[in-house]
Amino acid sequence: MTAFQADIAAFERLNTQVLGVSPDDVATHKRFAESLKLTFPLVSDPGGKIQAQYGPGRIAFFVDLQGVIRLIVEGMPDNTQVLADIERLLK
Amino acid sequence: MTNPVVLLAAATLLVGLAAGHAPAAQVGQAAPPFEADSSVGPIRLADYQGKKNVLLAFYYADFTSG
Repeated sequence: MTAFQADIAAFERLNTQVLGVSPDDVATHKRFAESLKLTFPLVSDPGGKIQAQYGPGRIAFFVDLQGVIRLIVEGMPDNTQVLADIERLLK
Repeated sequence: MTNPVVLLAAATLLVGLAAGHAPAAQVGQAAPPFEADSSVGPIRLADYQGKKNVLLAFYYADFTSG
């Protein structure tokens, strides 16, 4: 999540809200967010119910203004690539 | 010696494994809606619709590198 934080201004320039999602509870998320000075929300997904609807493992989904999935990034994301892909998709 | 039946079985297994790892949600589909608690309070994916794009980043656990 530190990588997303480092590039958060670039995501904001593309009108993109980063949401981290893991099974951790809200109290743990708050401690984690505070320790890393994260300025984007961490969503609590106990039991992985949200993730089950999306996809397993370390994975990211770019959802556009219409609520449509436009990009899926599996594994550790390369922000430079992700930002370039988002920029291309929004053109 | 390559037995075509064995080859076919192996290919079928590989395809099955690949399918098992494929994301449930696909590009071009509507993102599955959710409402959940977060570090900044309750969040609904629908709240962003028409306002902001969303990068939904799933990870394994807080306080890990994953």
